Amino acid sequence: MRPRHLSGAGTTAPVVPTPRRSRRARSWALLAVILGAALFVGARGDGSPPTDEQRASRIAAQIRCPTCRSQSAADSDAPAAQFVREEVLRRVRAGESDGQIYGYFVGRYGEQIRLNPSGGGVGALVWALPVVAVGAAVTGLSVAYRRRRPGRRPATAGDRALVEEALRRE
Amino acid sequence: MSAVLGTAAVALGLASALLGVATLAIGLRRKDPRLLRGGQRYVWLVLAGAVLATGAMQIALLSHDFSLRYVALNGSRSTPLLYTVTGMWSALEGSILLWGLVLAGYLAIMARRFKDRAGDPLVAWATLAALAVAAFFFALMAGPANPFRVVDGPVPLDGPGPNPLLQNHPLVAFHPPMLYLGYVGFTLPFAFALAALATGRLGEGWLMETRRWTLFAWGFLTAGIVLGAWWSYEVLGWGGYWAWDPVENASLLPWLTATAYLHSVMVQERRGMLRVWNLSLLVATFSLTILGTFLTRSGVLESVHSFSESPIGPSILGFFGLVVAVSIGLIAWRGDRLRSPGAIDSPVSREGAFLANNVAFAGFAFVVLLGTVFPLLAEALSGARLSVGAPYFNRMTAPLGLTLLFLMAIAPVLPWRKASGNVLHGRLAPSAWIATGLVVACVAAGIRGLGTLLAFGMGGFAAATALRQLALSVRAARRSGAPAWRAVTGRTNGGMVVHLGVVVVAVAFAASSTFAESRQFRLAPGQSASLSGHTVTYLGVEEIVEPNRTVARARVRVDGGKVYAPGLSRFPFATQAIGTPSVKTGLREDVYLTLVAVPEDGADTAVIGVRIQPLVVWLWIGGTIMALGTALAAWPGGRRRRGDGERAGPQPVAAEPAPPVGVPT
Repeated sequence: MRPRHLSGAGTTAPVVPTPRRSRRARSWALLAVILGAALFVGARGDGSPPTDEQRASRIAAQIRCPTCRSQSAADSDAPAAQFVREEVLRRVRAGESDGQIYGYFVGRYGEQIRLNPSGGGVGALVWALPVVAVGAAVTGLSVAYRRRRPGRRPATAGDRALVEEALRRE
Repeated sequence: MSAVLGTAAVALGLASALLGVATLAIGLRRKDPRLLRGGQRYVWLVLAGAVLATGAMQIALLSHDFSLRYVALNGSRSTPLLYTVTGMWSALEGSILLWGLVLAGYLAIMARRFKDRAGDPLVAWATLAALAVAAFFFALMAGPANPFRVVDGPVPLDGPGPNPLLQNHPLVAFHPPMLYLGYVGFTLPFAFALAALATGRLGEGWLMETRRWTLFAWGFLTAGIVLGAWWSYEVLGWGGYWAWDPVENASLLPWLTATAYLHSVMVQERRGMLRVWNLSLLVATFSLTILGTFLTRSGVLESVHSFSESPIGPSILGFFGLVVAVSIGLIAWRGDRLRSPGAIDSPVSREGAFLANNVAFAGFAFVVLLGTVFPLLAEALSGARLSVGAPYFNRMTAPLGLTLLFLMAIAPVLPWRKASGNVLHGRLAPSAWIATGLVVACVAAGIRGLGTLLAFGMGGFAAATALRQLALSVRAARRSGAPAWRAVTGRTNGGMVVHLGVVVVAVAFAASSTFAESRQFRLAPGQSASLSGHTVTYLGVEEIVEPNRTVARARVRVDGGKVYAPGLSRFPFATQAIGTPSVKTGLREDVYLTLVAVPEDGADTAVIGVRIQPLVVWLWIGGTIMALGTALAAWPGGRRRRGDGERAGPQPVAAEPAPPVGVPT
């Protein structure tokens, strides 16, 4: 007997007969289908393309207000932010693409006008590093888990002594 | 007079902290309990120094003693009494003084609580570490951030008063002290972590001492952050409650690591695992409070909240480096004793979920830290000048936030060690169906957007789980005849209440950041405009002259009902006007009004900003639930025995140094 059976919370469940298990699996599969369908419908949007105002405010939220500290042009009441919003809307109405509009502001104020650093150059690091770090942590942990997994080792004399000791104390 | 008293008080605090450190160090070296007890007494002198210095500063502020440079720069005869008092933390030097006062207070509570154990080397080391931190802050006050410097040249007759943003609302009396109670509170767990490393007593004993300190500090920090968000939204008129600004991020960073610690500490208590990790989290939390102070006070980063720029940058950065170096050195030195006596049996278990939780929280903290300092890094690496703002943080943290919500939904019902499919099905299926039903209902109601729907669904899942656990607890209490309120106290139940608060905050955050609509209207008196089904009518503007400012208030009728009054204040010594929004709060959505421009040059039109944002009020409700849950979790539960500080319940056998029985290393 391994000491794990001493811990009250981890009581192993009785062996489950197969029919119940398959019913269980079916109910989770049904849930997954319903959820997936709902999310699919919900993620598609309402079909209509965004209005010019919606597009402009989405773009303005990615552009820094030139005279503020760390506020977007969409959030700030400063005159310079007002100018950016009007300019964005004018360019959206003129049919410019998102890239062209960002390009205009970058050309005018420099790369730091974008609150979302672009994917090229050093700016790519800010996107890549967290993904790499979290990925490495998950991989490292699963490798460590595989390697440290005790497996089915026979109980040693030390284990038995520990169990007896614990049982006596209870 | 105040200058002399204050300088003397700072000197007293600094000298006592240093003497305390020295006495304790000698006592620990000679193993002399008498010296250890004597060393602990210096804490009271440090407290006396901090209280006297604070008193001197308040006397100077209240008596308008402009011979003090700090008062000359941050006080004025026309400032109302409340803002004169809070002027103490309206700029850097006074903030450091407040930090010192709070730290001295915590030290005193610690000394009182461990009075009978003063001869214990663990307590002595912890006191020594905390006194060393206090010595650093008093040294800052004695040197680069001296609040009691006298003015050069003639004494001015009046001053400009505090920063206009800091004399606009009484919340300035609550938010900064609350935040400081949080930040500084992490000093004691850090001190105990160092003490455990120094003494080599790395078993679970020291955890018992620090868990509650961390919980208290965490609760204050949570309350401080939520109050700050409320202030920024309702008072300062920055449009939002959270802008991912460096100062906000600096407060979020220790909160994230402390939250991770509060969870992973349970794994160590229960299974004796994650020892290095828990120590690292405590060290990280404390270091991040220091790093945050550096980032926001040294002027290296631009922030909307940095109310001061100062020469203390190098000292704080040096202290941060010292803290990190000492901690890493100690952990490396004790590495052999920190090996865990346990191993994870199955990833689908409580400890597995806590591990995932910690990866997500650490990843979250990493994203926030990286995004905050990235402009500095990029400029240093390649000379490129970049900004990293809200769009980046929102996109990067959303998946981590969703992961955390998901873990919140499953972790509380997972058994320790190993879960069988049967148990999982029984405990999770009802909540999962509730969540699915919620998503279907949201889609049917016309809500679109994958991220938002996932947030709502996961939120529902997590809330259902938390409610299930609380219901089980109520039933158990009823069965055992315990009073019903017992069912919601204690760490586990309080934790579930906190989870409910987090869900409310997360759902409100997702909804309000996705579905906000805003527009500015130029309106003549009597004219109306409408946005998202709300009508605003501009009625006119009035000007009010107060001693410290001139306020223009627009009168705006919302939806034909009550009249709201967004304002613009002008302060005599500030160039920019300070907006004060006016908000029609609703359970469904807020109508947020700002006065962007007052009528001028003969024209009678004003520019009114209107913002319709759903569910914002639930952020404050959720924050309140979180604070309440923290209080319930800290409530002494039935499991604790009074006095000895040891837990009465079953506990893993973890002798020191722990013999790794039956576990491959």
